[in-house]
Amino acid sequence: MAKRLFSVLTCLVFLFILGVGGAGAVTDGKIVIGHPACLSGKFAKAGEQATGGIKAIVKWVNEVYGGVSVGGKKLKLEYKYYDCESKKESVTSLLERLITVDKVDFTFAPYSSGLTLAGAPIAEKYGVIYMDHGGASDKIFKQGFTYIVQTIGPGSRYHEGTLDMLHKYAPNDKKLALVYEDSEFARAVMDGAREHAKKLGYEIVYEATYPKGVSDLTPLLSALKAKKPDIIIGGGHFVDGQLFNRQLADLDINPKALSLIAAATLPAFYDALGNLAEGVMGPSHWEYGVTYSEKAAKKAGLEWIGPSQDEFVKLFKEAVGKDIIPDYHAAEAGAAVLALVKGIEKAGSLDQDKVRKALGELKFMSFYGTWDIDETGKQVGHSMVDVQWQNGKRVIVWPEDAATGKLVYPMPTFAEKAKGKKALPK
Amino acid sequence: MVGHQLAGNLIQGLILGAVYGMATMGLSLIFGVLKVVNVGHGAFMMVGAFLALSTFKLLGLPPVLAVPVAFIVGMLLGFIFYRVAIKKLIKGPELSSLLATFAFGIILEEVVKLIYGSEHRGYNWALGKFSLGVTVVPYTKLIAFVGSILVAVLLYVWFNRTKAGKALRSVVEDSEGARVCGINVEWEYALSFAIGLGLTVSSGVLLTLFIPVGINPYMGGHYTLKAFVIAVLGGLESPYGAFFGGLIFGLIENGSYLLFSSFPSLEPFAMTRFFSFVMLLIILLIRPEGLLKTK
Repeated sequence: MAKRLFSVLTCLVFLFILGVGGAGAVTDGKIVIGHPACLSGKFAKAGEQATGGIKAIVKWVNEVYGGVSVGGKKLKLEYKYYDCESKKESVTSLLERLITVDKVDFTFAPYSSGLTLAGAPIAEKYGVIYMDHGGASDKIFKQGFTYIVQTIGPGSRYHEGTLDMLHKYAPNDKKLALVYEDSEFARAVMDGAREHAKKLGYEIVYEATYPKGVSDLTPLLSALKAKKPDIIIGGGHFVDGQLFNRQLADLDINPKALSLIAAATLPAFYDALGNLAEGVMGPSHWEYGVTYSEKAAKKAGLEWIGPSQDEFVKLFKEAVGKDIIPDYHAAEAGAAVLALVKGIEKAGSLDQDKVRKALGELKFMSFYGTWDIDETGKQVGHSMVDVQWQNGKRVIVWPEDAATGKLVYPMPTFAEKAKGKKALPK
Repeated sequence: MVGHQLAGNLIQGLILGAVYGMATMGLSLIFGVLKVVNVGHGAFMMVGAFLALSTFKLLGLPPVLAVPVAFIVGMLLGFIFYRVAIKKLIKGPELSSLLATFAFGIILEEVVKLIYGSEHRGYNWALGKFSLGVTVVPYTKLIAFVGSILVAVLLYVWFNRTKAGKALRSVVEDSEGARVCGINVEWEYALSFAIGLGLTVSSGVLLTLFIPVGINPYMGGHYTLKAFVIAVLGGLESPYGAFFGGLIFGLIENGSYLLFSSFPSLEPFAMTRFFSFVMLLIILLIRPEGLLKTK
């Protein structure tokens, strides 16, 4: 009996060593990245973009870059993904499967803060690097996780650039209102905005939240109107952003600048609001047209990796099989692959701890911008860009070194916009 | 200043309340005649919202013209769904018809998603606005307000002044009695289901005149919830009660915001919802037949 028990235990120990040892050893000449992707459900649009971005960069690494250099060998990347249906329970079970059954070398997080946070303990349990490309909440990095590494910028920094820009353009317009959705993400964004606004000397004349799924903001906006703010920063998600803008117009509330998170940078925003969206701004992680290049990297004294912006767009279109321009969801997922490649090369190994340490010391530039993380894995190098709707087009107005146009300030009033006036720089 | 704001909020609440009221009339009519709870109510409103969007964006016509079209589309859907499922389930357990209307809602959502995608859409029909001193009202909202009242009045006239309306009322009061008097009760059931859905789909058009953004296949959910509160408020079986219930709901929703916002630790919007449901609970406890229904 004891002999039998001993052999069973030996087998179990052997299997355990095999299972854990799979990650870290260069065995089969390739590096597999595993991803519970949001291909259906409420994040399907962002998920399609993210998988397209990853596929595009994997192709670039394998075909243009020649593979990942590890210990004198060039290893190809392989991308393995399953549909998580935008559900937390699927994210956790698929991550388990990717790590224990498919034996992937590294993992990628799904889209959104909530889903990223749901998967993080699984990656942590197995000690596998977990690349966060679509979870912006600062809360993720307050849990003490070791293996999570962020590429998307944290929520608390969304409006830093917006406020810096407005402070530069109109230093005397100091009356600021913060009106936002009562959600984890929007609260993180507004906590950061409030703190930065105070540093710049803004006076917060009004602050209010509204719940998810609100269908009429009129009573809140009536109270806001009485405070006559110069600048309004707010929003939360797609639908409330449209409602917010529309009802500001209905009640003739005319701030000199209006910046809305999530909604304002999407084409559907202008499509729904038409001319009423002219001059409205929104922070974005990346926009087609930003001017990050190999030359800019040299100027900043940073190492460059990856395709140029136009090469990325071409690869993305091939990957998704559609003639669409990638948005920031694709760019940040693609940039996360580039960071992982740089981290592996710097570590010279696939060992999780060595790669994690190398990622912590890494700083580089790609088509997505600068990449640098702090000790918790939170992205601190990436700057947001600010986009403004001008004459029906999204124009990058900040930061100045990535801008494709000048800010229109103050934006036209809603009465002017109703008569067809566009936000055009003087 | 506070009085100024309160008056403004109440005016906006009255306008929205009229639209809410009109949107609930169909629900109450269907329950009153067939004792069927239309859980897919919001999805039918969504169909109306998309009809308004298409009228404006694809045909370039004023979205208000979609109201009669929406009524016809709603009636057609009503006759089809009645023939396919409700007719067979009407005598069965209440849960069967409830699940059937839930299924109708899901079918509509998915069909609309197939055609339009899941994007949040909107339109911008600008007619200008007028000032009432305490608040500004766009003419589109005024049209939604007047349109809602007009539909409610038309329904009232049809019910009380026409033979067909009187026949339907007799079915509501006593279906067996009506059958004995030679009224085709089956037809009256089908007709009331169709009119109920016609009203609901039309209300989706009027709703977009108040809120012309955020139009997407899944927008109906929280309107269903509000419609249930309003229906109970107005007496579940009475379409006119529902209309006045809507007015009261709109006034409370907008009016109580100012009260709750004076407490700094409260989230006023969440409190207005809380208040609406507490009120519903109290009404159910002390006057289960509804606030506006005579015993």
